[in-house]
Amino acid sequence: MRSIRGRLEPHRRARALLALLALAATAPACSDELPAPIPSAGPEGAAPRRGGVLDVATFGDVRASLDPANIADGLAPQIAEQLFAGLIDYDKDGAIQPDLAERWVVADEGKTYRFFLRPGVRFHDGEELTADDVKRSVERALHGSAPNPAATSFSMIVGFDELQEKKAETLPGVEVEGRYVVSFHLKKRDATFLPILATLPLRPVCKSAGARYSDAWHPCGAGPFKLLPDGWHRGHDLTVVRHEGYFRPGLPRLDAVRWTFHENPTSQTFKFIRGDLDVLRDFVTPELLRFQADPRWKPFADFDGGGQILGEAMNVEMPPFDNVEIRRAVAAAIDRETLRRVRASNLAATNQLVPPGVFGHDADLVGQRFDLGAALEHMRRAGYPYDPATKTGGWPHVIPYLVYKQGLQEFMGQVLAQQLERIGLRIEIRIVNYPTFLALRARKMTSPFGPGFWMQDYPDALSFLEPMFHSKVISDEGTNNWSFYRNPRFDELVDRAHEELDDVRRKKLYTEAQEILTDDAPWAFTENVRIFTQRQGYVREHYTHPMWMHDVTRTWLDRAAGPVAGRAIFSEKGLAALLGTDRRGPRDASARGRGAGVGQ
Amino acid sequence: MRPAALIASARSMVGRLAQTAFGREAGGARLRASGSARAGLVLVGLLIAFAVLGPLVAPNDPYTSDFARGVTPEHLPVGPSRDFWLGTDRLFRDVFARLATGARISLVIGVGATAIATVVGSVVGVLAGWYEGRWVDTLLMRVVDVGLAFPFLLIVMALGAALERTTASTIFLTLGFTGWLGVARIVRSKTLQVRSLDYVLAARALGQSTPRVLLRHVLPNVSGPVVVIATILVAQMILAESVLSYLGAGIAPPAPTWGHMLFEGQDYLGAAPWITIAPGVAILLSVLGFNLLGEGLRDALDPRKT
Repeated sequence: MRSIRGRLEPHRRARALLALLALAATAPACSDELPAPIPSAGPEGAAPRRGGVLDVATFGDVRASLDPANIADGLAPQIAEQLFAGLIDYDKDGAIQPDLAERWVVADEGKTYRFFLRPGVRFHDGEELTADDVKRSVERALHGSAPNPAATSFSMIVGFDELQEKKAETLPGVEVEGRYVVSFHLKKRDATFLPILATLPLRPVCKSAGARYSDAWHPCGAGPFKLLPDGWHRGHDLTVVRHEGYFRPGLPRLDAVRWTFHENPTSQTFKFIRGDLDVLRDFVTPELLRFQADPRWKPFADFDGGGQILGEAMNVEMPPFDNVEIRRAVAAAIDRETLRRVRASNLAATNQLVPPGVFGHDADLVGQRFDLGAALEHMRRAGYPYDPATKTGGWPHVIPYLVYKQGLQEFMGQVLAQQLERIGLRIEIRIVNYPTFLALRARKMTSPFGPGFWMQDYPDALSFLEPMFHSKVISDEGTNNWSFYRNPRFDELVDRAHEELDDVRRKKLYTEAQEILTDDAPWAFTENVRIFTQRQGYVREHYTHPMWMHDVTRTWLDRAAGPVAGRAIFSEKGLAALLGTDRRGPRDASARGRGAGVGQ
Repeated sequence: MRPAALIASARSMVGRLAQTAFGREAGGARLRASGSARAGLVLVGLLIAFAVLGPLVAPNDPYTSDFARGVTPEHLPVGPSRDFWLGTDRLFRDVFARLATGARISLVIGVGATAIATVVGSVVGVLAGWYEGRWVDTLLMRVVDVGLAFPFLLIVMALGAALERTTASTIFLTLGFTGWLGVARIVRSKTLQVRSLDYVLAARALGQSTPRVLLRHVLPNVSGPVVVIATILVAQMILAESVLSYLGAGIAPPAPTWGHMLFEGQDYLGAAPWITIAPGVAILLSVLGFNLLGEGLRDALDPRKT
C-alpha cells in the first residue's frame, strides 16, 4: 500500500480504483459461447484407422502403484485395466464376459470354477501366458506379504486364510489342471466370486513380477497397452503404448493413451476446447452445464451410471437417530428433486440404495419418497411434534452435521439444513478435512449425522448392502457401516443372497433387503452420481465404462491432419521418433506422443 | 488507589488519549486535509452503514435458497435483477442479503479482534518497555519473538482446527489473541522513548506509583501509534477472517462470510461472476478504507510533521 501511495497521487488512485471496479463490472460480458466440436475427417461408418495418441487429463494422480496386487488409488483402476487383462472382465454394459479365458464351467454345486485359457496369449514381454502364470499371480496377490487392500474380498477361496497369515506358501484353492486350464475351489458357494474375479487384483502378471509382491517391479501384463520404463513421470503424466502382441487381432487401434495428472478442471476444459485433450471428464459445474445444453456437443457425450449412491447417514446408536421415527422423518423430509439442483449436471434423484445399472436395482421399488406431511407425522410419533406455522416444537437440540471441505456435500448440506428445518430438525454444519471426516464418521458413538457416499467395487447390490449395512462389518473404528445399523433379518437376507447363484432368486432377496432399509432408514438415500463424458467429434468408438471409466480398446482418432487441427495422427515411425523429446509433452501436432516407442 | 480516584484517573487517561490522538490542532488539521484519511473515512462509513442497514433493506432472506426465482432454466444462478439486486449464488440465495449480513460479521470480527489485540498488545508492550532489561521484559519479548516466528495464518488455522466448532466468537477471540504480537513490539519501543522523558521522571520523582505513571503518563503518550496500528489492524483482521473462511477454517456455512462467499463462487467465475465479484469488491473496499484511514492518522499524528 505504501509503495503504491508513493507512486500515485490521490486522484490517480481514485481513477485506478474506478478502473478496477469497471473491469469487475464488465466481467459478466466476457463469458463466451462454446466453440463447435472438432469434427471427424471421414464420414460416419468410415473404416477404423490405426494410430494416434488419445490425450486425457485428470485432477487426480496415481500415488501408490499400478500393480494389481496393490491398487489403492481411485485413478489406478482405469490405467491398470489397460495394462492387465483378466480371466474375465466387464463389458461396457457391466456384464461379465470372457477375456483371457475363452470360457468357464461351474462345478461341485457352485464351489468350483474351471477356466479354459486362450492359447497363444502373450504378455508384454513376449512370454506366453499359461495356467501356471494365473496361479502364480493369484498367490502373489493374496499372500500376506502383499499390501493388497482388496485381498479379503477373495477369502472364499480354499486356503486363503493360511496364505494370508503366511502359514502356507501356496494356495490349494487354485489348481492348475493343464497348460491352459485352471480351477478355483471355493469354501462354499459365493455369488460374488465372478463379479470380484472380474476386478483387478488377481489379473495375471508377467514372470518378472516373481512369486511375491515387490514395490520395485515394473508393471507388465497381457492387456491391450503396455507401460514402457520411461512412460510414467510420477506426479505428472503417464503414457501407455499399444501392445502389439495383444490377443485380440487388430486391437488396440491407438498408438498410445496419455494421462496428465493434477490438471484442474478449468484448465482441462480450456485445453479440451482448444483441442489439446480428446476426452473430458472433469468439469466445473457451469462448464458442464454449458456442454450439456449445447446441441452441437450432445452427439459426442454420454453419461455412465457411475455406480455411486449419496445419502444422509444417521447413526442409529446416537440421539436423535436412535429413534426410528426421526430417521423416517428425515427420509421423508428430503426433497430429492430440489436437492439434485445443487448440481443438476451430475445428480439424479433416487429412492433406494442400489443405483441403476447395478444388478439388484429395482425400478419398481417404492423406496423412500419426499412427503412433508408424512415427515411431520413421523416427528409427532417420535414425540417431537413440530408446527410449521408457528415454527415451534421439533427436536430441541442442534444436531452436528459433519462434512469435509470442498466436497459436494458441503453445499448439499446447506440445502439439507433448509429442508430439515421445515420439520423441526436444526443441523449445524461442521467442516473438517477429509481424513478427519472419514475417521470420525467411522468411529463408534462419535458423529450422529452427516453425508454418506459409496461407490461400487463391482456392479452388484452386494457391493452396497454388505459393506454398508451388515452388522458384521461394525467395529469401534474404521467401519464402513457409518450408521452402526444392526438388523438380524437384514443380515440373514444378505447372507443368503451371498450364496444364491440364481439371479432371479438373488434379486428377490436384494429387493426384500432394500425394503427393510427403506423402512428402518439408517440412511436417507438421496442421489446417484452420474459421470458425464464429453469427446471431440473425431474420437471414434470411445465408450464410457461402468467400471473402468474409459473403454479405449477399439477407440480410433479420425482427426484431419494439418495446422488448423493442431495435431496430426501419427505414424508409428513418426511417433517413435518424437517420443521422449519433451518431458511435459508439447501441445501441437508435431510433438504428441512423447515418452515411449511404439510396438516395442 | 480509592475507587473514586481510580475513576478520575481513568477519565483523565481517556481524555489524554483522545487529546493525544485527535486533539492536537495541527494534527487535526492534517487529518482533515489528508485525502487518504477522507477517503478512508468515507469507505469505513459506507461499510458501517451497509452493515447496519443492508440486512434491513435486503429483499430476501440470506439463508434461504430460491429454487423458483433464483435459478435459470439452465440450472445456473440468476444475475442481478429487481428481485435479486446482486444476483443469486450457487445455492440460489440472494447475494446482496448475504453480502450485507457478511458485512456485519466482518465488521464485528474485525473490530472485536482488533480491540482484543490492541489491549493485550498495549499492556504487554508497556510492561516490557517499562521493565526493559528485566525478566518481565525478557519473558514477554521472547514470547513475542516466538509468536512472530510462526506464520500468523498458520497459528490461526491450527487454533481454528483445534476448536470443535468455529463461530464468530471463536474466530474473533482466536484472531484477537494471536494478533497482539506486532502491537506489543511497537508499544514497547514507544514506551522506551517515553519512560525517559522529563515529565515521566518528574512524576516518578514526585512519588507517583508505577501503575499511576503508566496509566496517566505513559499510556496516553504511546496511544498515537496504537490508534494507527489498530486502524490498520482492523483491515488485517477482516482480511484474515476472509482467508480463514475461504480456506474452510472460519465460520461454518451457511453463515455468509465474505471469504466463504468467494470460495463458493470460484467455480462459477465464468458463468456467474457476480458471486465472486461482490464479496471480492467488498473485501477490497473495506481493507482499502481502513488502510487509508490508518495512513491518514499516521500522517496526522506524526510529530516530525508538526
